[in-house]
Amino acid sequence: MAPRGGHAAAAGVSSGSEDDDEEAGFSRNYFLAKEKEPSSGKKRARAAGKLADLNLVDEQVLRASLAEIPPKHESEVEALTRSYKNQYSNWLFELRCGFSLLMYGFGSKKLLLEDFASTTLTDFTVIVINGYLPSINLKQVIVTIAEIFWEQTKLKRKCQTATRPQLQSFGSQSIDDIISFLNNQISDNGDDNVCLLIHNIDGPALRDAESQQYLARLSCCPQVHVVASVDHVNAPLLWDKKMVHTQFKWSWYHVPTFAPYKVEGVFYPLILASGGYAQTTKTALVVLQSLTPNAQSVFRVLAEYQLANEKEEGKFVVYLIYIGFPVANKLNLITLFASQVTLNSHLTEFKDHDLVKIRKHSDGQDCLHIPLVSDALEKLLQELA
Amino acid sequence: MAAPSGEAPLTAATNIEPFYVLHKGAGASSASSSSASSLPTSGRARRRIDVSGTASPSPKPVGKRCRGEAAAADDDDGDAEAYERLRLEAFRRVWSKIQSTIDEVLRGISLKLFDQVLQWAHESFSAVRSVVRPSAAQVRQPYPLLTDVICRKIPTAFVLTKNAEFVDDITTFRDLAEHLGSNGCHLAKLSATELSEKHGVSGCFRSLLRQLLSDVPDVADMFALASWYSAEENYDQPIIVVIDDLEQCSGDVLGELVMMLSEWVIKIPIFFVMGIATTIDAPRKLLSSEALQRLEPCKLTLGSATDRMNALVEAILVKPCTGFCISHEVAVFLRNYFFKHDGTITSFISALKLACSKHFSIEPLSFLCMGMLEEDCENFWRNKFDALPQVLRKYASGLPSCTREKDSIKSSNNMVEGLSELMKIQKDWSSVLLCLYEAGRHGKVQLLDIFCEAVNPELQTQKIPNPPTGKSGSIRRFIDQAIDTIRYLPVETLFHLLEVWSIHLKGMDKISDKVKELQSTTISTDAVRITKDKWPRRSTNSTGNTTAPLNDKVAMLLDDVTRKFLVPFECLPFHEIICFKNVSILQSALIGNPRRMVQLDLLKPRKHLRCSCCRKSGVAVLASMHDTSIMCNLAQEYGDVINLHDWYLSFDGIINSTHSKVKRKPHTSPSKKKSKSIAAESEAMVQARFCRAVTELQITGLLRMPSKRRPDLVQRIAFGP
Repeated sequence: MAPRGGHAAAAGVSSGSEDDDEEAGFSRNYFLAKEKEPSSGKKRARAAGKLADLNLVDEQVLRASLAEIPPKHESEVEALTRSYKNQYSNWLFELRCGFSLLMYGFGSKKLLLEDFASTTLTDFTVIVINGYLPSINLKQVIVTIAEIFWEQTKLKRKCQTATRPQLQSFGSQSIDDIISFLNNQISDNGDDNVCLLIHNIDGPALRDAESQQYLARLSCCPQVHVVASVDHVNAPLLWDKKMVHTQFKWSWYHVPTFAPYKVEGVFYPLILASGGYAQTTKTALVVLQSLTPNAQSVFRVLAEYQLANEKEEGKFVVYLIYIGFPVANKLNLITLFASQVTLNSHLTEFKDHDLVKIRKHSDGQDCLHIPLVSDALEKLLQELA
Repeated sequence: MAAPSGEAPLTAATNIEPFYVLHKGAGASSASSSSASSLPTSGRARRRIDVSGTASPSPKPVGKRCRGEAAAADDDDGDAEAYERLRLEAFRRVWSKIQSTIDEVLRGISLKLFDQVLQWAHESFSAVRSVVRPSAAQVRQPYPLLTDVICRKIPTAFVLTKNAEFVDDITTFRDLAEHLGSNGCHLAKLSATELSEKHGVSGCFRSLLRQLLSDVPDVADMFALASWYSAEENYDQPIIVVIDDLEQCSGDVLGELVMMLSEWVIKIPIFFVMGIATTIDAPRKLLSSEALQRLEPCKLTLGSATDRMNALVEAILVKPCTGFCISHEVAVFLRNYFFKHDGTITSFISALKLACSKHFSIEPLSFLCMGMLEEDCENFWRNKFDALPQVLRKYASGLPSCTREKDSIKSSNNMVEGLSELMKIQKDWSSVLLCLYEAGRHGKVQLLDIFCEAVNPELQTQKIPNPPTGKSGSIRRFIDQAIDTIRYLPVETLFHLLEVWSIHLKGMDKISDKVKELQSTTISTDAVRITKDKWPRRSTNSTGNTTAPLNDKVAMLLDDVTRKFLVPFECLPFHEIICFKNVSILQSALIGNPRRMVQLDLLKPRKHLRCSCCRKSGVAVLASMHDTSIMCNLAQEYGDVINLHDWYLSFDGIINSTHSKVKRKPHTSPSKKKSKSIAAESEAMVQARFCRAVTELQITGLLRMPSKRRPDLVQRIAFGP
């Protein structure tokens, strides 16, 4: 991805928006559809592999096994992480020189950085930010830093007056005000430093331009130092030249650890669980079984229609079933189930449970569509029977 | 470091809290516990990380060793720490010297512009005041003073920066603001972030007030500003609002601000200084015509980046005042970084600073650089040398540059002499280099180019004079060009050049005598010719040869001096102490390349893990490799999309080391699956490993998750390291 400035950068790092996909995939879809046509039989064998063909285990089993994955190269990983200990003093030196440290390379750097902080940054007050979490309130962080400085100055000057109101008011001040307060904190002996340890400064909650601006401004406060890690390969796109050269002043370190991303990965969906349809088939089945036999029959008719039409007409239109009389009549739904009103109530129920979705057909009509791939649908029907 | 398996559980508070205080600093840890409880997270014990690993540098090991050993070790540790502190102090002193030199140089270059702006501000102020001079009470009235349209124009200085990249102008505008402020103007700065849609005109006005008023009222309005301005101490100066990056501002917000302030300009004289990076058209493109009409423009231009670069190189790299210098390799790297990377002085300076800090961090004796800043440097070095522990002495005598010249090593004074010699030679070197540049600038040779050649140690090996026509290859390209330039200089310029040389060459008596000699001949020939010859030298060359020998003489002198005195310091003993040479360290710290490096980590994990199990050569992907590595290697076989099913099967194949292509057909499998119920667990494990590897690839950004429409395909994002 080419660097395209601030906003584009943020989008570049974000993990896949549907819109982007839509654009990029537009032409590709054509070829994909071509590939899947029965005529290109040879290609089909290669490209038509689907997750559905795999014997996927239940998500709970999957998660249980996930916790028990035996570590590989345990001793080597440990030795590798240990080898960075020799550099700790250099890192500290550079931090004291006014640079921020930026660690990158494959593997979780959480333990490494926290080890560095607890063994080497003993003179600093260290605040850890877990940037890999989906939400972080930066203001709270900034308020905490301000409070730490406030405590320190109070301690130093032994001034007892008006500590409470000031302390409480940090929360109600704007971030700009707090940062300008921090900018004025200049220590006489240069000891009272705060070090921000930011795991994944490129994490999902910090990826927006505003958070990065605040972090950049924080990092150039005189008493604040920053040690951060990035994992995303496009992380440098988060910063412009001003931030890189005059605010963060990064000193890069390539420190691959090959340690598993255990905590960092918690918030990512498992590709074989939620990505696959196993789970949805199962939930659909549960929902359907709780409905009346009549409703089940309506669903069955719809599903069969969808399956049948997929086979006849190719990929896209197949999923669509016209609401309204022509189709309903064609399928004998009304004769089957007495009235349009009953049918509608069933359909509403399906919609509420996400068993069917409404789509606009290219001719402008609303269409019903069961959001399951045909294999999943077949399986569902089998199990429903 | 704790082994990955022994880490805290995933649900530990430290992992799922957005932020927490790991520990308080040594200075702050004595803080009262009552105050600590007011902080949201500080009460808990956080230091759970195992620190029992190998030697950790900062907490001193409290071992059970025998006393002598322990004492010696403690001594060593103490020494090491003391010297580290010394190096840090040296860095701070050296860099603050360099930084102040940089600031001075940049300010000096921009001073002409600053004075122009100041003059403009004063003129505009008197112009505004000449229309009407409202009394303090009038100013304080909560409505604008109504006069005719002409007086609703805000004087605005557009400063053309001529820099494509704005980052260089930040310091310029900061200095400008300081300059104006120190000359009595009230000053406020608005940045592009403040002039954005998000903040709106009110946010930006509040920011303006915050910078002017000591106490900003809750309702930030014009009245607050007016009452502040009407105070006696504020009244007689204009308010100048500096907007350094006009193009990045929101036109609507700025327009609104202009409209608002213009109503009041008679009562509260607020003027704008706007930095424009592109062309003078920029305001027209940005602002509405209505807002534009309210501006009274004045165009000013900043000096060029090349001038600044030349001045900077002269002040910080050539003149031997800083005690820190860079090797040829580093110089060439920095030059390329400047010309090819982004061409901003800011990045050049930050690269230099990084080099400086790396030098003081890595080189044990680098603290001696401080000596260069001392008045009695020899004394300083002698004191420091006497106090050196044995280890460092040994290190000093083992420096590669010293072992090269074996004959002069033995004495203990050697280092002091060596450093003094180094300093003296460096001084001559810099004088000659400046002479070269003075000549070369007439031929548009840049100082950085000459500098890079002048620090090349190969220059020394090629000292033997060349045949008159020959060039010394590419090593002396710019130096030769500079010398050549002299041959075509008109007499007046030549005379001026010699004058400048005699200033640079002060202290090098022999050479300056020669220069004087040449100067006198110039004057005499000049006196003869001046009456009849008004033409530049090039034309006289064809008619007569009176001046040709003179130009040649000057050129030959320079050539001679260059060969004698332009000794690159990398050829001198002890240069390692002041000279930073490690270009690869600098490069890797300066230009992090996660895109390439993360992929390389994954594709060649053995390079870092150094395991014995994945050594088998010839086979690209082994089951023993890191799971994510296997997946990444497999992904190389796909295009921009990867079929998850196929990917999983190949992963499965590698894990189970079956190289036969097993393709399970969906409709034949159910019976098989049931028969293989024992294998199900291992299958679950393979799937779990697959999932984790995909997640890790996703974290590194090498993969994009499947969309709903195409659940079986993931997208690759990076191709080829």
